[in-house]
Amino acid sequence: MRRLAALAIVLGLVTPAGAQEPAGSGDWLEALRVRGRLAEAFAYRLHDPGDVAKLKTLGWLEGKYTFSETANLRLATRGAYDAVFDATDRYPANVEHDQKTELSLREAILTLRRDDLEVRLGRQQIVWGEAISTFVTDVVNPRDFREFVLPDFSELRIPIWALDVVYRLGPGLTLEAVWTPDTMHNRLPKQGAEFQFARIPFRFSNPVVRLPDNPDQFSLARSEGGARLSVLREGWDVALIYYDQADKSPVLFQRRVPQPPAPDVVVLEPRHPRLHVVGATLGKSVGEVVVRAEVAATIGKRYETIDLLDRDGVIRRDTIDYLVGVDYTFFGSLDTALQVTQKILTGSSTDITRPGVAGVVTTSVALRVTTGFLDNTLNPTVLVVVGADRGDVRVSPRLDWLVSGSVTVSVGADVFEGPERTLYGQFDRNDRVTLTTTWRF
Amino acid sequence: MCRLALSLAIVLALATPAVADEAAEIVRDADRFRRPGDSFVWKITITSEEAKKAPTVDSFEVYVKGAGRSFVRFVAPPRNVGRSLLALGRDLWIYLPDAGKPVRIPFSQRLVGQVANGDIARADYTGDYDVTLIGDETVGGVACHVLELKARSKEITYAAVKYWVSKEGRRPVKAEFYAGTGTLHKTGVFANFKEVAGRVLATRLTLVDGIRKDRTSVLDYGEITVRDLPEKYFDKNFMKSLD
Repeated sequence: MRRLAALAIVLGLVTPAGAQEPAGSGDWLEALRVRGRLAEAFAYRLHDPGDVAKLKTLGWLEGKYTFSETANLRLATRGAYDAVFDATDRYPANVEHDQKTELSLREAILTLRRDDLEVRLGRQQIVWGEAISTFVTDVVNPRDFREFVLPDFSELRIPIWALDVVYRLGPGLTLEAVWTPDTMHNRLPKQGAEFQFARIPFRFSNPVVRLPDNPDQFSLARSEGGARLSVLREGWDVALIYYDQADKSPVLFQRRVPQPPAPDVVVLEPRHPRLHVVGATLGKSVGEVVVRAEVAATIGKRYETIDLLDRDGVIRRDTIDYLVGVDYTFFGSLDTALQVTQKILTGSSTDITRPGVAGVVTTSVALRVTTGFLDNTLNPTVLVVVGADRGDVRVSPRLDWLVSGSVTVSVGADVFEGPERTLYGQFDRNDRVTLTTTWRF
Repeated sequence: MCRLALSLAIVLALATPAVADEAAEIVRDADRFRRPGDSFVWKITITSEEAKKAPTVDSFEVYVKGAGRSFVRFVAPPRNVGRSLLALGRDLWIYLPDAGKPVRIPFSQRLVGQVANGDIARADYTGDYDVTLIGDETVGGVACHVLELKARSKEITYAAVKYWVSKEGRRPVKAEFYAGTGTLHKTGVFANFKEVAGRVLATRLTLVDGIRKDRTSVLDYGEITVRDLPEKYFDKNFMKSLD
């Protein structure tokens, strides 16, 4: 019965409007749009050992079929082959298996519109937030951290099967509701990978067994969802968000299993505790300056502790993340974005050893400067991110050369510095230079 | 003497708003040659040229509704396809497929060549500038009013515009666009007046860099469709799905 009701709603959205404005002049090719790109990405690691770290061929193919003004279907796939796993034997077999080839469905969205209502159903990315290059309120999709946070964010986000409903309540007032049974979590690099994260320095003298982290991808019982109310008044762009989800990064819960007469075995079980994220975003132009701000309170956040006396090895610390950023263009051509981000734990940070947590308050400052030469065909950019508490740094200069309307060549570098157990310092020996050629069609 | 001065003051006080009204009316009339209706879609091709370099061509579809609301889709070249701009009053967002969401940017940021975002996202000057009629001049044999336009806020693309409008028919003829420092950014010449959708429109705007005269961008306004556009074209929450 419920299925019938859903079908009736879908048909109700499509049919009348579709009847008003049928697709094109009957030529289905006119209603089809196909585009894509091919890229060759090369990276050379500068230390220990200096060697090729990426030799990846990537292809994207996207299609959109417009049934009518009120209904369309979008499909996008991504395929990749990294020849570095054939060219070198530096990486273990599990990493090669995980990263050598890929074919994934990046988008499969049926969009239905009627009046002020839009329904997007299918595999998609749902992006919230005002700021760029940060995830403070961008909480819906899990992320692929196999190359740390270096790829574009649209590549970092893992698409999920979801229902996204957007309703325009009135001028400048929009409500968005999201529901997904796709509970996929973040994809982390395998042990031995180029950007393998620093491991938690547990101090067990007992034998340790770590259980695999492979919950079902789909679960109605663990389904996730939330809403965003966005308001635009007098240039003030404000949104309030709420999202109920499982932690997309695993938290290692401990338990001891007696094995008499041998010592107890410590079992590390990855779990994804439930989180409630409540947040807000703000965007505003003040004269020639653009101001952005985001805040998110994560209720139910848990962290591993290395305190041997803790029963399950996990402590709860509700967490507040926020950022404030300003964009300004100097001399008419030097686009500058400055962003300050803080993570605040509601409690002690003692014995928490995550690289992204430096203390009760963790502060980072990011500066991005971009300009253009030769009629904007040569565009240098530099991104500097500093972990203010422990002095870890990421510097990523890049030069994009727009060879033609279809071809772009990018030369760049990623340099990391800092103490071992910091967000960027953990990759201190992974400095690299990169060359990427992209052809779009 | 005192009575004469008083009379003069009254006449001046009454005349000044009338002159200001006339100046605003001239700009409003000239704007009509730059927008075919209240709600419309038009295709714009921008050809940017620079000495010793091959010209580049960028194409856009611009959706305009009412004053100050426009949605711009990037149609060509392939590297820009998927991007879009949304202008609502003095606020501007760009949708970049790589970011996956609309990002707020200033109007003054360069789009392509000599063209700023505001050059295609805003179709008229009325409402954005305070206008003063400062004289008469002949441009290319055409007798023109010369107007001084001063931006009402810092979010406007140009701090000031010197605007030549023909006395006969009040067509836009030429404009000089200035930065807040008084530096000449670029000069624009309106041309190719044609009857489109029942109205005579300027279908070409040539922009020349204020310093490097060899740098030009020609905006050609092509196919125009006058139709009522849905409100959601002008809501940033729908930018992604309009790609």
